[in-house]
Amino acid sequence: MKMNLSKEWLLKRAALDEKHDISAGTINLNKLRASSPAKQLEPVHGSAETENSNPAFGKLVNLWRRKKGLRIDELAEKARIDVTELFEIERNLHYTPEPRTVYQLAKTFGLSQEKMLELSGNLTVRDSSLGQEAVRFAARSESVEKLSKDEHRALEEFVKFLSEK
Amino acid sequence: MSTVSPVHLLDRKSGILVEAHLIDGLSREDVEKAEADWKPFLDEHVKRMEEAGVPKSKLPQHRHWNWREKYDATEEYLLYRMFGLECQSQMQGLMLALTAGKNSQIVAQRGKPLVYIHFLAAAPWNLASIVSEPRFSLVGSVLVAAAIHLSMEEEFQGRIGLHSLPQADNWYRKTCGMTDLGPDQTVENLRYFEMTPEQASEFLR
Repeated sequence: MKMNLSKEWLLKRAALDEKHDISAGTINLNKLRASSPAKQLEPVHGSAETENSNPAFGKLVNLWRRKKGLRIDELAEKARIDVTELFEIERNLHYTPEPRTVYQLAKTFGLSQEKMLELSGNLTVRDSSLGQEAVRFAARSESVEKLSKDEHRALEEFVKFLSEK
Repeated sequence: MSTVSPVHLLDRKSGILVEAHLIDGLSREDVEKAEADWKPFLDEHVKRMEEAGVPKSKLPQHRHWNWREKYDATEEYLLYRMFGLECQSQMQGLMLALTAGKNSQIVAQRGKPLVYIHFLAAAPWNLASIVSEPRFSLVGSVLVAAAIHLSMEEEFQGRIGLHSLPQADNWYRKTCGMTDLGPDQTVENLRYFEMTPEQASEFLR
């Protein structure tokens, strides 16, 4: 990330900055990590292939796109993500996409960002039932041009599961 | 891979802005050097304060933090970003930010994603709670500005959140203009602060 702060802004801020302490955070990193609201979240690897990645994410994206009759470049434009990353997501089922890409796809699909992050391999949730559902879904879907009845049903069921709170 | 942005800090003694660098993506060596510079200085001054009978509540509350441990615990996770503010060959401030899994608690923003500042601290020689004449100011402002920029980069519109240590509550409330959501019983009863997109714009104005 690149940042540019003008000298005028810095001097203005310096005039406001008394001799305050500025520390933020808790004593215990692990305790804080486990205190996420509602569920216990643990971030995991990103971008490259990881043992946490799940083929169901790529399949979900592929089937959802085909169901909507969109080309890869059209979905990339709709979701405002990089077309090459979308291609990689569908082509390499063990690819772990960037969190922003997952957010954008979750928004486009109208699905839970948290579950999509987990499904994409960016986040693990302890005691999650998503893993089993994802494996079931991935096993039932084939990579063909048109959705078969079974694929259609698998996609519908999985999307329903992902939509549940 | 790290990126470096040129910034400035205010040298309190001379009253002039001096060149500094904001590093996004610290290496293990950067963190080890910072820890090696900070810890002896902090330990020595805390020892002196204890010997002088300074009450525990006045000692720096983050004196037990170990940044190398934080680096080790998070380095493999892309969702964590560690920033360093370097000036005159020493790290003047450090920040660990989390870019996913945290949402706004403010009613009007509820559920919207934000960048969560997991940890933020200035070098001990910049702390008024330790030395009578801190060396540099602007460390906190530059790091908070970095968190806002990161939030914008993630398309979170500048939303950030953090749990402040009690000695810093006023700074986040008054100087940064963040919303004080009160003590959080799930996080050591520390006060939880958030910055809305509007407050972020105001901060950067």
